[in-house]
Amino acid sequence: MSNTQERALGGYRILDLADSMVALCTKLLADLGADVIKVERPEGDPMRRIPPFVDDVPHHEKGLFFLYRNTNKRGITLNLESSEGKAIFRELVKAVDVVVENWPPGYMASLGLDYSLLRQINPKLIMASITEFGQTGPYKDWKGSNLVDFAMSGVMITSGFSGKTPCLLPGVPAYDSACVVAAISILIALYSRSSTGEGQYIDTSVHESSRVGLYPWSVPYYSYALTEGGPPPMPETRMGASIFPVYPCKDGFIRVVALTPKQWDALVRALGSPQVLLLPDWQSFLYRIANAEDLYALMLEFTMKYTMAELLEAGHREGVPIAPIYDLASFANSPQTKAREFFVEVDHPVAGKALYPGSPYRWTETPPTIRRPAPCLGQHNEDIYCGELGLSKDDLAALRRAGVL
Amino acid sequence: MLPLEGIRVISFGTGAVIPDFAKILGEFGAEVIKIEAREFPDFMRTIDPDINRVAGFNESNRNKRSFGVNLKTEKGREIVRQLIKMSDIVGENFRGGVMRSLGLDYESVRQIKPDIIYISSQGFGGAGPYSHYETYGPMVSAASGMLSIWAHPDDPYPVGSNSPIPDHLASKFAVVAALAALDFRRQTGKGQFIDMAQTEVAAALIGEVYLDYAVNKRIQRPMGNRSPYAAPHGCYRCKGEDQWCAITVFSNEEWQRLCNAIGNPPWTKDPKFADILGRLSNADELDRLLEEWTSSREANEVMKVLQQAGVAAGVVQRAPDAIDDPQLRWRGAIMELDHPVAGKRLYPGIPFKLSGIPPLRSTPAPLLGQHTEEICRELLGMSPPEIKSLKEEGVLQTAT
Repeated sequence: MSNTQERALGGYRILDLADSMVALCTKLLADLGADVIKVERPEGDPMRRIPPFVDDVPHHEKGLFFLYRNTNKRGITLNLESSEGKAIFRELVKAVDVVVENWPPGYMASLGLDYSLLRQINPKLIMASITEFGQTGPYKDWKGSNLVDFAMSGVMITSGFSGKTPCLLPGVPAYDSACVVAAISILIALYSRSSTGEGQYIDTSVHESSRVGLYPWSVPYYSYALTEGGPPPMPETRMGASIFPVYPCKDGFIRVVALTPKQWDALVRALGSPQVLLLPDWQSFLYRIANAEDLYALMLEFTMKYTMAELLEAGHREGVPIAPIYDLASFANSPQTKAREFFVEVDHPVAGKALYPGSPYRWTETPPTIRRPAPCLGQHNEDIYCGELGLSKDDLAALRRAGVL
Repeated sequence: MLPLEGIRVISFGTGAVIPDFAKILGEFGAEVIKIEAREFPDFMRTIDPDINRVAGFNESNRNKRSFGVNLKTEKGREIVRQLIKMSDIVGENFRGGVMRSLGLDYESVRQIKPDIIYISSQGFGGAGPYSHYETYGPMVSAASGMLSIWAHPDDPYPVGSNSPIPDHLASKFAVVAALAALDFRRQTGKGQFIDMAQTEVAAALIGEVYLDYAVNKRIQRPMGNRSPYAAPHGCYRCKGEDQWCAITVFSNEEWQRLCNAIGNPPWTKDPKFADILGRLSNADELDRLLEEWTSSREANEVMKVLQQAGVAAGVVQRAPDAIDDPQLRWRGAIMELDHPVAGKRLYPGIPFKLSGIPPLRSTPAPLLGQHTEEICRELLGMSPPEIKSLKEEGVLQTAT
């Protein structure tokens, strides 16, 4: 392991009980140097078994979702429902800074492992719970899922083509929103603790966080459109195609962000100033939205003359943001991605070597790195239980037989 | 005391990412000074005729004071340097190269404030051949590969949404970075420069998809609302105009609960729907049948009936649904702020729920230049005549 001095969060240890739906929370902290120990039930995190897999062969060490979202973590197994498991967990809690969990509200308390009890063991402990709807409130026991949470975030109604079914964003965006909210809360709690000496409890709701993570402007836009005594604003609908239009070109598609008249003029220049686009009406953003289909039909003739790269350059030259719609290979192989060395090689004992997306930021003093691949199931049991808690190998074998590990 | 009291942030933000970043630091008690000028406005101020009445701007710029200063003047830049000298964090997301041309890039700033934490966030990142390209959130999803799989399989091309995703997640990544850097500085005294590429944030949100490309050489295609391991898994039309409810069923147990909740119509007994493989291979038919049930009911009723039966279901919410949502109300997830020009309006509340700190509050976004004079007096020790003459020279700007 590299010198802790070179890692921003090198001095912290986190026990992560959560499954990988919210693994981004501790991944962010682990990538910045925190020592994250992922605690899995003996049969493993269920997210180990979701596709796709390496070579498309289902295997609990080869799930790509799990492998990606658990880099830089160590892994142990522990059955928290057994009394030995609970005792071991309480021992572990003595030497950690943070516990993260995403069990339904009340589950940790039913095990006797809720925050009020754990902080008696370690008063400096910080604990973060990430749940679908939060620890309290009328929906606290409701069920969520990636799609349901995205639906309730306020952004799905605006996602996709007008008139068609609202469309899910790839990945797990609502969970990721909760993960960044929880990670921020944990860092604030650690920072506070350096002056107060005390830990605290963090209650993060996916439902609540998805709004600020994905579309915080939805409620304000609506609220600003309300006028006293006036009619209610038009219901929100799917306008991606008219606000940020997409046009086909020679070798793919581009997306244009022309909001101001200046940007529109630049777009017309980028397309060679065709006469038909010079009509003054088109300068108005609202006119363009109202006549989006007509404009689309007109634009095609001109955008089709150029490649994505030509239009990206022309937009840059003239002053209008034009982006290529890269497919996955084009992004992975783009000159920018290569120059920034975004993808890094990671070698996993079972899944093998592969290029993983690295960290989205470059730091001058404490660069985030991938120091280790995602853990195999129970890979660090011996390191932690024998090396740190002082159990013997025989103890370990007995615990394994008893189904505790 | 709030956790970040005593931390001063200079924000050169425009659009969403750095404004939202600094807003959050302000929420935790940092003192945030937004540097802006009429010649050089945050572009979000300009999308509406009144620069002080833009909903998106006023959301992303809560918890800040506005310092109106023209950065095109040397005196203006010198005043900003003085402010930076007494600050802890600088954030900026102008087009790549702008801060350097102003002499306010990291290399210049660290000469006067060696332990500064300086966060730059360009669309394509601050280094590399595309670093100078102006980018907005909707372009970031396009240029990161995310948009290419954000569609239904039968869409002619992907269009994304009205929201500039991933801007508001990138802003939170930047907060994570700033807080980690602050903690590192607390322990070592060292500041640093952080260059965050928004395209890479977007790619990091779909990392497993990139791993699939790296490992299996697969370029994934859009799946829309389908899941490779759950059915029903979709968004179903409900009664009314453009009303929908999302429903997901992963296990056989959940399937049984769904069948019971909708009254066990005969088609639910069809053996082809009895297990997950059968439901997946007959997903089109299943969706059609389930939609027959949902389409004669209000979305809210569908959600409640299914949730009471233990099935994950959620209304595809619009703003008014959020405002009325009992759980969001319970958590204070929508708040009202009284803005000096826009009046009393609703904004998302503060999602950070920590037990051991005083309640977090938010102040409304500032008018452009609203706090110029008080900052000059309090922080820079300027006299009223000095401030007046700098205003007349066009160096400083105030709201009135």
